[in-house]
Amino acid sequence: MTYKLDLTDIQGNIIKAYGSYNYQKARYLLFRVNDGDKGRQFVGAIATKVTSAVPWGKLEGNAVAGKPQATTNIAFTYMGLQALELPDASLRGFPEDFMMGMAERKEILGDDGPSDPKFWDRIWKEDVHIWISINGQSIEAVEERYDWILQQIDACKNGVTLLMGHRGETGEDNLPYQDASVLYDNNGAPSPKEHFGYTDGIGDAVFEGQTNVAARALGRGKLTRDGNWEPLATGEFLLGHVDEAMEYPRTAPTPALLAHNGTYMVYRKLHENVGTFNRFLDEQSKTFSGSKELLAAKFSGRWRDNGAPIVNAPDDTSKAEWDKRFAAADFAGKKRMLSDFTYNEDMHGAKCPFSAHLRRINPRGSLEFGVRDAYETPGALVNRRRIIRRGLPYGTVKDATRDDGNHGIIFMALNADIQRQFEFIQQQWINYANDFKEGNDKEVLLGNHDADSPGKVVIHTDPDSGKPPHFVTNIPRLVETRGGGYFFIPSITAVKLIAAGLIDPT
Amino acid sequence: MSNIAGKAYAMNVITPIRWYMTWINRLIFKIALKNPETLKGLITLSLIHYARWVIVPRSGFPRLDPSQPKEDLQYSYMLFFSNFNGSWDQYVDSFTFAIPAGLDLFWKWNIRYPKSVPLTPFHKYIRHNQIDTLHYYNAYPMASSNDIKSAQKIKKALIDFNTTSVNKTPDDFLKDYNKLLIDLQHHFGDMKPTPIVSLSADAVKKRYLQSHLNSN
Repeated sequence: MTYKLDLTDIQGNIIKAYGSYNYQKARYLLFRVNDGDKGRQFVGAIATKVTSAVPWGKLEGNAVAGKPQATTNIAFTYMGLQALELPDASLRGFPEDFMMGMAERKEILGDDGPSDPKFWDRIWKEDVHIWISINGQSIEAVEERYDWILQQIDACKNGVTLLMGHRGETGEDNLPYQDASVLYDNNGAPSPKEHFGYTDGIGDAVFEGQTNVAARALGRGKLTRDGNWEPLATGEFLLGHVDEAMEYPRTAPTPALLAHNGTYMVYRKLHENVGTFNRFLDEQSKTFSGSKELLAAKFSGRWRDNGAPIVNAPDDTSKAEWDKRFAAADFAGKKRMLSDFTYNEDMHGAKCPFSAHLRRINPRGSLEFGVRDAYETPGALVNRRRIIRRGLPYGTVKDATRDDGNHGIIFMALNADIQRQFEFIQQQWINYANDFKEGNDKEVLLGNHDADSPGKVVIHTDPDSGKPPHFVTNIPRLVETRGGGYFFIPSITAVKLIAAGLIDPT
Repeated sequence: MSNIAGKAYAMNVITPIRWYMTWINRLIFKIALKNPETLKGLITLSLIHYARWVIVPRSGFPRLDPSQPKEDLQYSYMLFFSNFNGSWDQYVDSFTFAIPAGLDLFWKWNIRYPKSVPLTPFHKYIRHNQIDTLHYYNAYPMASSNDIKSAQKIKKALIDFNTTSVNKTPDDFLKDYNKLLIDLQHHFGDMKPTPIVSLSADAVKKRYLQSHLNSN
């Protein structure tokens, strides 16, 4: 059965990772609503340019969409929906996490020490109501759309204010926007890297209703008992659709039209301590028996250069062979080599340690710990904890020995239930590890490592090899939160209803 | 009042069951205990510290004193007692999707049991019949059962290693030490305070610590 989504109604950023469609530049804007009436007028103007999920250049029903130079998407905080005067009965139907917002949830997220909201970009101290993203095929296209949006502020007679206070490239802290961009290699070609040198954005979750879903679900959907992959239930990522628990997400507000085809977005500005990372990796690789690149791969679960999963390329020799096969594979074959794998042959973590980023955020079938048919399905503990990742790096590394430049990732996670999906992964699997039987050992790259009591992880070995495990010790805080919020991305219908002031849950 | 102590969440659930059906549950429990294979899902769920099911016959409820009037109960009851990581809200999904058939089998004969999937009716059924914990003592508040099992294993291995290593040559010592590390490589998790279970539980704990601080 193919499940058909109304792609004309779903915002494009939910279905498409714009970065992989050659949208190399992005700009994120935050607004405060000053007046309900005029604010809705502004939302109505933006609604005319909101990019849908209709495939570009293809027929979808009666709609044909050409690929635009720039895309635009819109989302709201709880305070924003209040300011736009949604009825109380609708507002009360939103989940607690979204109502509170990210800063209030810092104890759950582990945003402590240098990640504490008091050190965030000062824009997050403002009343953040509306988020608008522009993704462009060029910076000129981004700026053209940006100028158009500025005109809409004037046109609605300042019903909204574009908020200032993003930190920028030269230490300024009052920018009216957050820019992001793919990184470029030495030849000026766009690359899928982030500032630590890892290849990013490979294994996003795949759900029922997306195009070409059977092929894309390999390694990215849910693992079945017979070793196949199926797309996850739509309701894990879109409100108003049935989820993995065979029910409609309980996080949906009323009326149904407000929620249907919408989702929740976690937006985080994550600063990368590049100098510390480089020193830490150099220092640790002195005592590690393999190469420095292998150790870097053990942290993430993928080799930095091309994203090869270490579970299928666990040492330098097998990596060289993997690279040969990868070079010979066609486009679909390459995708498959990057995503289609399990940890079934690596129950000791000798290839990919339990602490590796990849294994922590998506353990696939490995939480059965090799016990045959332990659970109803291999992904029983995983299928309700998946997220869709969006975002791009920001800033440039001018001095790879320093931490204090402007460099990091704009991270966005999309899910139907922030608490059950994003927050659970962050709290239980990144900053804690009881589910992996690793006590309090945090994930190396994203963990909120404590400078006063630094943690460690164990890089496991094959028990038959006779080689002792390696201990990665004194792990510093490599990534710091610099800002963020919880947003609701409504369907395009709902954006228009909000703009028209027609939301009525009666 | 809190269902949380240290790294454990205590759950007491008591559900009515028709007295003339309890023999089926007793049989199921007996078979399960004899065949640990049937409980492998439960045992593999590393979030669970402990779980026990008990049938309380309708005439079997304790009385504190012979003078306490005997209750005339219509149903027998099944008591489920468990300690696990996190909270019911956080981990209900993990229980439901890992061992739905097992849950359904154990509760099948209980009054108004809705089945474990879809999740919301099951979640509510358990919450409705849950008796909140009035007093909860945890001897090792920084440890989950995984931590304790690992600590026991490491302690024993170290004591054994110590006794057998007295007269070893440095080369043999190193070889055996490496082997010890390999054997224990999945038991070295750090033991530090628990991540907060919920914001409300955290607030209660902070107020308690604060008032303790003030009174000292």
